[in-house]
Amino acid sequence: MSKSIRRILGAGIALALLVGTSAQAANWLALQGNEVPGAAERANVWGFVQPEFQYTEGMELKAGPFAGQPAAFNMIAPDQDSNSSFNLRRARIGVRGTGFPLDSKVNYFLLLEAGNNGITRNGSGSVRLTDASVTLNHLKGARIRIGQFKYPGSEEGLMAIHVFDYINFTSVTDQLMLERFLDSDGSVASVGANGPNGSVGAFRDIGVQVYDWFDTGNWEHSYAAMVGNGNGIARGDNNSDKDLYLYWASERVFGGQGPRRQGWKLYGWHQQGKRTLATGTSQATADFDRKRWGLGTTFRKDKYRVGAEYIRADGMIFNGTDGGVVAGTLNNAGTAVASFNMLPEDEADGWYLDFGYLLLPKLELDIRYDRLNRATKTAAEERRFGTLTLGAQYALNKKTRAILNYEIRDAEAPRLADSAVPNRILDGMDDRISLQLLAVF
Amino acid sequence: MPGRDFAGVRRYANNKIREHNTMSDPYKPSLVSSGLLAALLLAPLAQAAPDSDKPFAEHKVVLQISDDDPFKQTLVLNVANNLVRHYGADKVDIEVVAFGPGLRLLFAENANGARIHSLAESSGVRFSACENTIAAMTRQLEYAPGINADATRVPAGIVRILDLTGEGYRLVKP
Repeated sequence: MSKSIRRILGAGIALALLVGTSAQAANWLALQGNEVPGAAERANVWGFVQPEFQYTEGMELKAGPFAGQPAAFNMIAPDQDSNSSFNLRRARIGVRGTGFPLDSKVNYFLLLEAGNNGITRNGSGSVRLTDASVTLNHLKGARIRIGQFKYPGSEEGLMAIHVFDYINFTSVTDQLMLERFLDSDGSVASVGANGPNGSVGAFRDIGVQVYDWFDTGNWEHSYAAMVGNGNGIARGDNNSDKDLYLYWASERVFGGQGPRRQGWKLYGWHQQGKRTLATGTSQATADFDRKRWGLGTTFRKDKYRVGAEYIRADGMIFNGTDGGVVAGTLNNAGTAVASFNMLPEDEADGWYLDFGYLLLPKLELDIRYDRLNRATKTAAEERRFGTLTLGAQYALNKKTRAILNYEIRDAEAPRLADSAVPNRILDGMDDRISLQLLAVF
Repeated sequence: MPGRDFAGVRRYANNKIREHNTMSDPYKPSLVSSGLLAALLLAPLAQAAPDSDKPFAEHKVVLQISDDDPFKQTLVLNVANNLVRHYGADKVDIEVVAFGPGLRLLFAENANGARIHSLAESSGVRFSACENTIAAMTRQLEYAPGINADATRVPAGIVRILDLTGEGYRLVKP
């Protein structure tokens, strides 16, 4: 097996066990389901827990039909019952291996989620299967992965969450990539809260992927092409169209292994599919295009790491909740319930820039700025979100890490007057403090 | 005769002894005598270290790997490397014998292949693969597994270990 395979997969197990600092420059296509050839276990049980605490000042809505009520963006997800809350955000247990150790060509990966988040809150049951895949490594240049697994795409979505350098996703990832599945666009009040009809997509789909990676000198190139249902996890398709995912990455490898591998990676991705949605006053059901694409780079060398990504979205733009209030809340007039909204034919884009510096062997300081421009085709709906996140990560040991984030958040409706209701509402967006402990086992 | 074919040395000596015992030709004694002499001279070598590449080795170690724990693979290679680093490649003679589930270390596809090659090329560490295990795995897989090119096949791994310990090698099973 080539040196590159060992370099990547030598930490395939380590990724499950070790908690380093940065996750840049890792080959996520390999790490999320390939086993070390000839050196993998039949069944390697692993998992992690992420208890956390988050806090905002809990500023209430300053304007609109829900004025005086808690603002959804100041309440702690996923329950949104309080502006300060402890939560078991993620608690996952999985098993991965070869099944038949003599044959390294067949690998499997299973992962269950029992934490309190968008995966488990929406949908049946409090334990959900997030990953169940089989990888076939028989064809040189074309490995095949079948089942439910992370689709190739944006870096924040594709990377393993337990090596993520922050507690919360960027706005662009959270709103454009972490898909909410709704039955209606929310434009008719009688539809009710129009809540999600299942778990959030969790950056996963059910389908088949062809992928591999190649070495050319000091460069490693990887590709992936996947076809999936495009209807979230643990359920079948709801239309006859399939989503297509394409991905390419090229990395100049400086050295090291696994998630701490030092290198400079350039990547690009594209995904497209159709979603079924009831829209307008008639709530007639139709299929709408959903396209996402992005370009990004990661860099890691010695004590420094950098990440940047630009993402564009066309169609099926998640548009928050009515009046900025928690979905399901009755308005002040008692005439309507706030619902989730979707803009099926609008556009959005966003980007982030992220720096990390290893101040001490166990302490990393991080800073990230992210921007989301949502509903850019519609003046009245357009919203701009900017977040500056200051962070610190402390590794108690190789498997346990504490993360502290302070998010300075800002939002506005850029094409509306400052006195307009949306801007008065968004002026009330609080900063957010988050503290998380990650323990891998 | 092959430097590693210690069994051949014994066979040669034994054949010469048998020839001496059955010989009746009066002209043969000189050949027999020389053959017997050669056997007597060679006999000690048949019991000595099988690898003449390290005539100055002061320590002889056989490392056993016979279980399928992937961490044992890393561990046995680390032990070999540490021995070489401590004593020096010329002062320590190391052979890794893999049998049973441990034979996976010497699969051609094993991710440790580059490291094995480095230890073999740079440090003279030898790797032996049990043919009995290869045969058993072939039956399970329904095809013969590819074996690392740096490995030598031995008829039986456990026999190889016993032979080496009989020749003064210390057995270590990390």
